[in-house]
This record gives sequence, C-alpha cells and structure tokens, in this order.
Amino acid sequence: MSDSGNWRERAATQTRLAFGQALLELGARDPRTVVVSADTQDLLGIRPFIERFRERFIEMGIAEQNAIGVAAGLATTGMRPYVCAYAPFISARSMEQVRNDVAYARQRVVIGAAASGISLGVAGGTHHSLEDLALMRSFPNMTVIVPADIEEAYQATLATQDIDGPVYLRLGGRVEEPTVTDPAVPFRCGKARVLRPGNDVAILACGAMVSLAVQTSDDLRAAGIDARVINVSSIKPLDRETILAAAVETRRIVTAEEHHLTGGLGGAVAELLSVEHPTRMRMIGMPDAFASIGPTVKVREKYGMSAAAIERACRELLDAR
Amino acid sequence: MSESRAELLTRLERAAQQIRRDVFRALRAGGGGHVGGSCSAADILSALYFHRMRVRPQEPEWPDRDRFVLSKGHANAALGAVLAQAGFIDPAILDRFYHFDSPFGMHPDIKMAGIEMCTGALGHGLAIATGMALGARMQKQAFHTFVMIGDGELHEGSNWEAALAASHYRLANLTAIIDFNKIAQSGRLTELVGLDPMADKWRAFGWEVREIDGHDMGAVVDALDSLPFHGERPSAIVAHTVKGKGVSFAEDTYLWHSNNVTDEVYARAMAELGAR
Repeated sequence: MSDSGNWRERAATQTRLAFGQALLELGARDPRTVVVSADTQDLLGIRPFIERFRERFIEMGIAEQNAIGVAAGLATTGMRPYVCAYAPFISARSMEQVRNDVAYARQRVVIGAAASGISLGVAGGTHHSLEDLALMRSFPNMTVIVPADIEEAYQATLATQDIDGPVYLRLGGRVEEPTVTDPAVPFRCGKARVLRPGNDVAILACGAMVSLAVQTSDDLRAAGIDARVINVSSIKPLDRETILAAAVETRRIVTAEEHHLTGGLGGAVAELLSVEHPTRMRMIGMPDAFASIGPTVKVREKYGMSAAAIERACRELLDAR
Repeated sequence: MSESRAELLTRLERAAQQIRRDVFRALRAGGGGHVGGSCSAADILSALYFHRMRVRPQEPEWPDRDRFVLSKGHANAALGAVLAQAGFIDPAILDRFYHFDSPFGMHPDIKMAGIEMCTGALGHGLAIATGMALGARMQKQAFHTFVMIGDGELHEGSNWEAALAASHYRLANLTAIIDFNKIAQSGRLTELVGLDPMADKWRAFGWEVREIDGHDMGAVVDALDSLPFHGERPSAIVAHTVKGKGVSFAEDTYLWHSNNVTDEVYARAMAELGAR
C-alpha cells in the first residue's frame, strides 16, 4: 500500500487533485498503471506519481491527439493508461482519437478531464467545456463519470481498475468543491446515490451542482418541502432504477449540471423518462449560448446554475401540480 | 537448407504478386476499392510478413509478436491479402470484402485476426504505434513496432505530434514506413500540398532515415534487415513507390486511388499480374 493516508489534505477539496492522489494509490496497486500527461502535471496533481513511478510516466506535451493515440497503443500492450488533460481540449480536439482509437477499439484508457464546465471562467469560451458530456456519452463503450467531490473522485478513480473499457472522468478546476458524499458509502459505477430523502420533488445533479442541490434541499426542508437529492455521478451507464423510482415517487424531476442543456445529464434523464415514465421536468444548466468571461461562480449564476435557480425550478414544478 | 538471397527475393516478389492478385480478388468481391495504395504497399508488406516480422499466424495474440499498424487503413485489402497468405485468416474472407457483417471492410478492424488496431481515419497510426513501442519498453518486451503511413496522410498534423514524441523517447523499437507514391485521392501531392523534402522532415524530427525504392525487393529487405538504423532513434523508411504498381492501367494516377473493379477490370488486372 502507498502512503495514501494524507490524500485528502493534498487534494485540497478539488476533484482534479483527488484524481492525482488516487493515481498514486493505483500505481502502487497495479504495475501496469501508466500516466500520460499533456503538459498537465500540476493541473491533475500527478507530481507525486511521477516522483514515485517515473518509469511509468509519459509526458506528451501539448498534444492531446497524440496523448490519446499513444494511450490507446499502450493499452493494446496490456498497460493501463490514465490520460491527464484539460477537459475542453481532450474532449473536443482529440475527439476523433477518443472515438476511434479508444471507444471503437474498446481500449482500457481512462481520461482524467480536469478544468471542466466553466471552472476556467475567466479564460473565456475557448476554455470552457460545456459539451464534453454530450460528446463522450454518445460513444458506445464509453463510461462517463462526474464525481461530486474529492471523496467520490478518489473512489471513482480507484474503481476504474474494474471497468472493462474506456472511461471519461470529468473533474473540476480550482474552485472549491465542498464534500457532500459519504466516504463510507462506496462509489459504484452505474449507481446513483440518494443524498437527501424526499418525495415532493427530486433533484438529480452531477459534479459541482450536487452541493448546490443539497443546499437547496436543506433550504426547502425548512419551508416544509421535501426535495430528494440524487447524485448522478455515473452519467453512463445511467442508474435507470434509481431515477425511475424518483420519477414514480416524486412525480417532479429537476436536473442540474454545469453543462449545456443539450446532451448532458438532463438530456440523458429526459431520454430515459420520456420513454419509460413521462415526468414533468425542469433542467438547470447552460442554455444554448457561449458563456460570459468571469469568475466561475458569477458566470454560473448568470446562466442559472445556482441554488436559487434550482429552488425556483423545484417550486415551479410544485406550483404546477 | 538455408535460402539464398536470390531465392529469398524471388519468394518475396512472388508473395507480393500474390498480394496484388488477392487485392483484386477482394475488390471484385466488394465491387471496387483502393487499388492504388494497396498495390504500392504490396512489396513492403510481403517483406514484412514473410521475412522480417516475428509473428505466429496460429497465435495472433502472441504477446511477443512484432506489431504492424496500417495507418493508411484504406489499403486494408492488401493487409487482408497478406494476412490470408500468412495464415492468420481463412482466404475465403477475401471473398467477403465489404459484405454484410464481414470482419473485412474498407479499413482495418480489430475484429479480424492479425489486425492490431482500427485505423483508416488518417493520422492515427503513428501515435498508436508510439504507444505500442512505449508499452514494449515498459514491460521489457523485445518486439518491434512497424507502422505504414501514406504520404498524403502526412498532411494530418497529428503525425508530427507523434513524430516528435517518438524521437523524444528514443524509440529505437519503432519503425515508420512511408509509402511515398506521390499521389492522393484528388491528384498529385505537388499539386495539393507538397511534402518535399520528405526525408529531411523526418530527420529534422530526430528520426534516422533511409530512402529506398519500395519496389526493389533487395532494397526493401536490406532496409528491414538493418533495423534499427540507430540505437537511440526511431527509424523511418521513406519508400518511393508507384501508386497502382503492377497494373499498367492503374499506375501513377489518382484515378485508381479508388475505383470500381468489375469482372472485366479484374480479368485485365489478373492478366498482368499473372497466376504463378
């Protein structure tokens, strides 16, 4: 075992750093673990891995297409590559390599995609990643996971060991991601976790929106409204059972994600419910526009990715009864 | 007992002609396909599979096998032909080119024995081969990785990302073979976007380069036998070839990059390629 005891401190409330800490643990567990960087050594906190397992680290430089292609080639030889990259670049620029070399050829490549959503708010639309879930989710064979906090990011990264196929792990940036999941309840790929009970409305959230959903639920409870909160970290495969149960039991679904309203969590839930159990929905996320430049939280708020907006959506559904 | 050089070259040349005949066999079954790039690659494929590469057709997943990635995947008919001749696949598969639910389509697919990676979207193979060579080094395996790249394919910038990385990591266990037939789908490269000086580009990227006539079997064998060209650099073989080589009506023209292969075309091709 590695000296993983202090990983929480080193992850500093950021999922991107928890990923790097989990790689250190995976490196110790499995000699086939190899880390591929696209000039992202600090972004994903992998310097401890590099120090400890230098012979299993490959720096590719600022070349995302090459990073994915090389990772696919490594995987064919039996290695277990983890590609560390910026979400906006690895999902869009190297999308063809992800589709052909990784998804179509079904290679066990794990992509750690940091700085997703509008975590690089001040960097502008060129650096926002608001379509990556739609892109990655559309490929057969892909598993798509959005951890809500460092506990889940760490567990999900370890869990990739048992996923027989490619994985896209969507990670945050430098914005604090409060802990909302219970480390004692283990992450399971394809399983959504209920964080707050309630039968009046259900909020299905992923990533940074989960803590806002929890806050919303706690606020609503004071007003006598029981809002179930479900952390849907596994976008693909989707936990149909838990989501359908929420639709049947609450009859009102709000989805919340830091992603375009096209093709992400809300889209996935709507695809399921419209066929299996049509349910009134509201969707929180980025509308069909490129986001403004600015600090992440302010940009989120501008486009309705806030606890206040989630609460409004819940109340609208309740008023529509 | 041992094969003389003359016998070796004759054997490989015959095998290359068999590849060309089998390309037309497959293309007739499929109604057409990539004649030009399949025929330009045939001699090199023959020397790789029947002389240089250590492979076990009956054990295609043998971990220590040499790897071959056909980055110019549109020449898959030639790859299927060599795999059939080597015994990786049943030659009857050649008659199922393009057919419904066949493992043998326009581009390589790992569903078929002997295929290392799904390629054909251009500019992917060199990165994949670089990963294979790195994997060999990490796991202390002795296999060599070969990747064949089309010349027009080198317009794709991803190749040059991989070329940088392979030389940075001193991958002497990696060889790129450029099938330099000078013609792409729409015409001559000099009239599209030129690639000369080809060898100098690879040298500038840190590769050890040899230029050969890709249809001179002696030169092909000598180059493959000299690998690696340098103990700490990846090797590049710039093979000057003729698109459509061996079939006069298809030689050196973009019109036969891909075209229909009717029974009549097949008969004309076979007459030139001569059953032996």
